[in-house]
Amino acid sequence: MREIAIVPLQEFEVPLEAENIRPDLFATLSLEEIRDLEVWEGNRKRVLSDLFSVADDDGTGECLIRLDGDFSRVKRIGEGMREGKILVRGNVGMRAGSGMHGGSMQIEGDAGDWLGREMRGGSINVKGNAGNYVGSRYWGERCGMRGGEIKIEGSAGAYLGDHICGGRIVVKGDAGDFPGASNRGGAITIGGDAHLPGAEMVSGAIVVKGRARVLPSYGFQETAEIEGKLLWKFVGDLVEKGKGELYVALVEDDGQLDK
Amino acid sequence: MIIKGGIVYDPTNGIFGEEMDIFLDGGKVVEEAKGEEIDAQGLLVMPGGVDAHTHIAGTKVNTGRIMRPEDARSGLEPKTKILRPCTGYTVPNCYAIGYRYARMGYTTVFEAATPILEARHTHEELEEIPIVDKGALTLFGSNWEVLECVRDGDLDKLAAYVAWGLRASRGYGVKVVNPGGGEAWGFGGNVKGLDDPVPNFDTTPREIIRGLVKANEMLNLPHSVHLHTNNLGKPGNYTTALETLDIVKDIAPTRDRQVLHVTHMQFSSYGGTGWRDFKSEAPQIAEYFNRNDHVTMDMGQLIFGNATTMTADAPLEYSNARLLHAKWSNHDIELEESSGVVPLVYGRKMPINAIQWAIGLELALLTESPWKTLLTTDHPNGGPFVNYPEVITLLMSGAKREEEMATLHELVAKRTVLPTIEREMDWGDIAVMTRAAPAKVLGLAEKGHLGVGADADVTVYDLRPEKIDPARDHKRVKEALGRVKYTIKGGEVVVRDGEIVAVPRGRTYWVDASVPEKDAERVQADLVDKFDKYYSIQKSNYMVQDAYVTNPVVVKAGVI
Repeated sequence: MREIAIVPLQEFEVPLEAENIRPDLFATLSLEEIRDLEVWEGNRKRVLSDLFSVADDDGTGECLIRLDGDFSRVKRIGEGMREGKILVRGNVGMRAGSGMHGGSMQIEGDAGDWLGREMRGGSINVKGNAGNYVGSRYWGERCGMRGGEIKIEGSAGAYLGDHICGGRIVVKGDAGDFPGASNRGGAITIGGDAHLPGAEMVSGAIVVKGRARVLPSYGFQETAEIEGKLLWKFVGDLVEKGKGELYVALVEDDGQLDK
Repeated sequence: MIIKGGIVYDPTNGIFGEEMDIFLDGGKVVEEAKGEEIDAQGLLVMPGGVDAHTHIAGTKVNTGRIMRPEDARSGLEPKTKILRPCTGYTVPNCYAIGYRYARMGYTTVFEAATPILEARHTHEELEEIPIVDKGALTLFGSNWEVLECVRDGDLDKLAAYVAWGLRASRGYGVKVVNPGGGEAWGFGGNVKGLDDPVPNFDTTPREIIRGLVKANEMLNLPHSVHLHTNNLGKPGNYTTALETLDIVKDIAPTRDRQVLHVTHMQFSSYGGTGWRDFKSEAPQIAEYFNRNDHVTMDMGQLIFGNATTMTADAPLEYSNARLLHAKWSNHDIELEESSGVVPLVYGRKMPINAIQWAIGLELALLTESPWKTLLTTDHPNGGPFVNYPEVITLLMSGAKREEEMATLHELVAKRTVLPTIEREMDWGDIAVMTRAAPAKVLGLAEKGHLGVGADADVTVYDLRPEKIDPARDHKRVKEALGRVKYTIKGGEVVVRDGEIVAVPRGRTYWVDASVPEKDAERVQADLVDKFDKYYSIQKSNYMVQDAYVTNPVVVKAGVI
C-alpha cells in the first residue's frame, strides 16, 4: 500500500475546491506531480503544496490518502473516485465523495453537506455527524445516489437520500426533514427520529427506528418486525402511486392518519 | 486587413474553392486594403456563419435555466482576463452563447421566438450576448389583434398591427407558431389542422397563415413569415406540412426570397398513425421542395443526449411532459401566446429518437438545392448549437453516418431511407447551408457573403480543403469546425486558434416598417381598448425602449 499524508499548512478562511484529492488519481502520479495538482482557494488557483504538506511513504499498490487536521473548508475530497482509500482524521467539507464510483472513505470527524451526492458505488463511513443532502442529487437531477453504502454513526441533516435511486444509507442517530424524498429504489435506515420521511417515494424502503411524523398520503398496511423491533409498515407515497415501504417505530399522530 | 491565400467559398458570389485574398476595412469587405495580414494560405475560408433559427434569449430560455440547475453543471469555463465565466450545455448563460458561436465561426444569430409582451427581456439578454450580431423574430400566430384582423379580412389593419408589433418588440420578422393553437391552449385545447377553427375567433390556421404572409409581403419585410407548423411533433403530420406549404403558393413575395420559411422541418416530417408505426416521410417533403421554389426550411436536426425543448407550442409541451414524465413549465402570455419548456434526453436506442435523427439528415440530403435547407438544430430543442460541427460532418460523410447508424436502434433502417442515401455534401453546400442561404432567407444583404460591401465577418478554418477528404477524415474535420483558426467579426479578429482574443459588442437588427397613417390609427384604437380591458400592463409600459437596444441596426421597410 502507498500512503500519502496530507496536512493543512494553515487554517483556511475561504473554502477550497480540492476535487483532485482522490486516491485513484494520486496512484498514477509521482509525489512531485501530486504537489503540483490544482486547488482553487476561493477564486485563486493554487497548487496542493501551496496549502498542504504532502508526504509519500513510497509504498506500492493501492493508494491510501491520510488527511490529518481540519478539512471542514475543503470541498469535493474524493469526488468521483473509483478505487483506493481516504482516511480523514478530522472534519471534511462539502461534497466529500460525491459522484464516487468505488473505493472507501473513512471520516473520523464530521462531514459537511452533500456527502456522497450522486454516489454510484464504494463506501463512506462517518464517525461524527453529516450535514444536509447526504447521498442526494444535485438540484434538478433525476437521481441521487444509485449504489454503494453510506454509514453515519451520528446524525444527518435534512434531505437525507433525496431522489435516491439505489444503494444504502444507514444513520445511527436522527435525520432531519424529508429523508428519502422521491426515493426510487434506495434503502435508508434511520436509528433515531425523522420528520416526514418518503415524500413522493415511488419505490425502495425507509426504516425509522425512532419517532417520525408520517405523511397523510401514506397508507398503513401492517405491523412488521425488523431487526427485532416491531414497526408500523406503510406504503406510499400515494400521490405518486408509489409502492415504497416505510417502517416507523413511533408514529407522531395528529389524527389524520387512517390506521 | 488582408486575409491572404485562403481557399474561399462564397456561394452568393459564385465562388467555390478559389484561392484569393480578402480585403477588409472599416468593418466591410473592400476592393483593396492595407494593414494586418492574416496568413490563410491553403486554408478554408468562408463568410461568418449565420444562424437563422436558434433560441438564445428571452423568458423561455431563462425558464429553461431555472428549471435545469443540473444543466449548469456542464460547460463550465472559468473567467479569464477577457472572458466572463461560462456555464451550461442546452441552456448556456449569455456569455457562453456568444463565445461558443464565435469559436465555431458564427457571427450572426437570430433568436426565433419572442412575444411582444416579453420582448424587453429578450433584448436584455441579447444585449449581454457578446461578439455576434443578433436579431429576434416576433410571435404573431395566436395574437388577438391578428386573429381579429384575419377574421375580418382586414389586411391593411393586419399589416399596420404587424408593423407596430415589430416596433414594439424591436423585432426583425414575423414568427408564427402553431397558428391558433396558442389561443386554443388557453382553454386546454389545440387546433388539429389547417381548417380547425380557433375558439372564440371564427378563423382558422389556414386564414392566419395566409393573412400574415400577405401582410408580411405588403410590408415588404426583409424576412418572410417564419412558420412552426400546426401538428408539429405528431406522427402523421407530414400531410399538414405539405398542405401548409401549398396554401401560400399563390402569394408572390415582394422581395427576392421565399414567401414562407418553415422552420425545424424535421419535427413536421413524420408518418405513421401513432408512435408504434412512426416513420419518416422526409422523402415526400424533400420532393415537394425539389419541385417548388416558393418555400425554404431549416433542418431542426436532432442530437442525441440532453436537450431542452422550449416553444410557443404549449400543447405540444404538455404532451411531451406527459409522455416522458418530465419536468414541465407552462406559460400563458396574455393576449399573445402560450408556451412551454420541457427538458428531455434523446436516446440512441429509442426508436422514435433514432428515426427523428435520421429525418433531419434525410431532409437535407434529399433536397437537391442546399439553398432551401438551412442547417439548424433548433437549439436547444433538437440539441444544442455547439453540435453544428457534428451535423456538418454527418452531411459530408457517408462513412460517419454509417458509423452512427450502427449505434442506433435498428428501426432507423426500416422506417427511414437514410441508409440508402449516398450523397456527401461538399464545402460549397455547407457554405450555402450555414452562410449564404440563412442570410438570403433572412434578407440580410450584408451578411453571409464576401462581396465588396459585405460586413467584414470571416471564418478561417484550420482545414486544407485541397488536402483533406471530409468523407474520410470526419473526426479531424469536426474538430476543426468546432475550433476555428480565425473568426473575424466586423473586421476584428475575435477568435485565434480556437481561443477568444477580443470581445466586441454585437449589433441588434430590427425592422421599422411604415404603414399608412389611417391604418395605424385604426390599430391604435383597437389597442387602447385591449390594454384597458385585458392586458395586465399599460400600453405606455409595453413597448421596448431604445435603452434596451443600445447597438441597433434599424432596417426600414413598409407600405410606402
